[in-house]
Amino acid sequence: MDPRLKSPSRLARLRRDLFGTPLDGAITIALLAALGAGAQALLNWALSRADWAVIQANSTLLAVGRYPMAQQWRLWLLTGLLCSATGASWGLLRRRSWPRNDRIAAGLLLAMALVVPAALELGLDVRARWWAIAGLLLLARWAAGRWSHRLPLICQKLWPLAWPGLYVLGLGLIGGGLGLQPVRTSQWGGLLLTLIEASFAIVLCFPLGIALALGRRSELPLLRWGSTIYIEFIRGAPLITLLFLGQNILGFLLPGGLAPDRVWRAAWVLTFFAAAYVAEAVRAGLTALPRGQVEAARSLGLNSLQTVLHVVLPQALRVALPATVGQFITLLQDTTLLSLIGLLDLLGTARAIMANPDFLGRNAEVYLVLAVLFWCCCAALGLGCRALEHRLNRHSSTASR
Amino acid sequence: MTQVSPLQAKDREPRAVMIEARNVEKWYPNGYHALRGVDLTVHQGEVVVIMGPSGSGKSTFLRTFNGLEEFQSGSIVIDGMALGNDLRQIGAVRREVGMVFQQFNLFPHLTVLDNLTLAPTLVRGRSKAQVQHQALELLERVGIHEQAHKYPGQLSGGQQQRVAIARSLCMEPRLMLFDEPTSALDPEMVQEVLLVMLELARGGMTMVVVTHELRFARQVADRVVLMAEGEVVEIAPPEQFFNTPQHPRSKQFLSQIS
Ligand SMILES: Nc1ncnc2c1ncn2[C@@H]1O[C@H](COP(=O)(O)OP(=O)(O)O)[C@@H](O)[C@H]1O
Ligand SMILES: [Mg+2]
Repeated sequence: MDPRLKSPSRLARLRRDLFGTPLDGAITIALLAALGAGAQALLNWALSRADWAVIQANSTLLAVGRYPMAQQWRLWLLTGLLCSATGASWGLLRRRSWPRNDRIAAGLLLAMALVVPAALELGLDVRARWWAIAGLLLLARWAAGRWSHRLPLICQKLWPLAWPGLYVLGLGLIGGGLGLQPVRTSQWGGLLLTLIEASFAIVLCFPLGIALALGRRSELPLLRWGSTIYIEFIRGAPLITLLFLGQNILGFLLPGGLAPDRVWRAAWVLTFFAAAYVAEAVRAGLTALPRGQVEAARSLGLNSLQTVLHVVLPQALRVALPATVGQFITLLQDTTLLSLIGLLDLLGTARAIMANPDFLGRNAEVYLVLAVLFWCCCAALGLGCRALEHRLNRHSSTASR
Repeated sequence: MTQVSPLQAKDREPRAVMIEARNVEKWYPNGYHALRGVDLTVHQGEVVVIMGPSGSGKSTFLRTFNGLEEFQSGSIVIDGMALGNDLRQIGAVRREVGMVFQQFNLFPHLTVLDNLTLAPTLVRGRSKAQVQHQALELLERVGIHEQAHKYPGQLSGGQQQRVAIARSLCMEPRLMLFDEPTSALDPEMVQEVLLVMLELARGGMTMVVVTHELRFARQVADRVVLMAEGEVVEIAPPEQFFNTPQHPRSKQFLSQIS
């Protein structure tokens, strides 16, 4: 039976929720008035007082920094690949259904692909690339949803492994080598650099954090003390201090060429920093696990490693996931501190642009764009993780008791 | 489960020894002396019920049989394998010994079927398809094959405990340990679990059962063990234990629970 049949109509429900009592009504009206006034002021400013030339002129700089023009096709290719993979994962998750949220997301994507390049007054060829990429994403979403059931189950199960592969490929495409012309890290900048730093730290801090959390609960004293001291030390120090410290000492601490320059040193500091917080989130998940789970696994003959991999972690990570995602989002925002150690990440690039005499006094425009960009990245990250969470929690969301 | 007599037929020939516990002493890390030199011999095919007041060390004793608790002195030999500090030996023992817990301890993130197949595939290295076939048969035996693809959280307590028994059986153990398997169940679900255990005993499984179910002890047990304050106080066949208990602690215990 359709549940909507029994519930009151949407309009009636709205009226009940917003104007249930006179006080509710008054609050609703006051808030609506305030919101309206704010929106009007913002729109007024954005359309008449603001001068968007600063963004139009610097959109490439904000996006990729000083990445050489002639090599930018590599970034377009990578974006295309990433969007296709995103679409495919999305489709695998949803199958043939297009729930309302998906339709909204698809609509937003299409609108952005049309509006943003036009607003930036990009050339027609660049606009076409935007359209192609948005189209690719939705096409992959549709195709994967439509035909994934024909794929053998093993392919569907192994699909998530495509992501690490794609990640390594992406770093190769960006940095060059193996026949591609190398692009030095000092030429990476803007959103590109921010995303590289954040994604590198997110990808690596996760396993590192799990290892630390397990270490902290280990029965080997040395491992336990080591993990505890590490976690408490990192959590007790401000990130900016660690970033400066890392620039000076990581070159000696990390073996051969892992942290060759400032960009990579910063990436490692972010990784080590976030790992301590992820470890605490995972530890909360481990603590929440009833002791009987491990005992059941051991009594069935599973060894320690099998117990951790098949019984402990799958359950602990589900509990830890929301806090971990929050940590990832914080991490993404923390990358702005990189501008303080002289890297040209999104904020660093923005500050360089604002220092340009041609665009004096256009700070508000630049900061607004920055805020929107960060908001989009965080929203995407949050949405992706929510979908994952939803999928992992199938067993409890369908529980009847 | 009315007229089940203890399987006396088994007593005719001398049978292999499945559990040989000698003078086992156990201190918990906080210094509590939980087992004070207990002895117990269980033969193959025997059903032994352990009773005793709460805190008397029943669970502790049972859990030493598969290495979930270590002990400080004495010896335990399970099916010819001595339990000690040798980790490989503990692994070998655990493969042969199934355990059913009061709180079921099913893996909530796995379907019922995957709960059953996890250990045989990982530990015995058997093929998934083959194990699944066996698992479905076992689920049929305990009467829940229709729920094979549900998650444990969707089942009732009695169903969960039956899944837990099937999960242990899927490893084809030679010995089954039960630690108060019906104590966490609503009263109306106790029988369905006891019935499964009864069937298992009839099939010749060696079982050590910690329980307060008097009827089960009377009808299924070959011997009843009474523990008190970390010691084995009395071991006797059920009729004798319930009708003419020898030890004052046994009399006291029986008067308290009936
Ligand atoms: N981990 C532990 N640390 C210290 N004491 C314990 C621990 N587990 C159990 N005990 C104590 O050992 C005694 C026996 O416990 P247990 O074997 O669980 O008894 P039973 O199962 O007969 O109720 C109890 O007094 C209990 O308080
Ligand atoms: Mg107990």
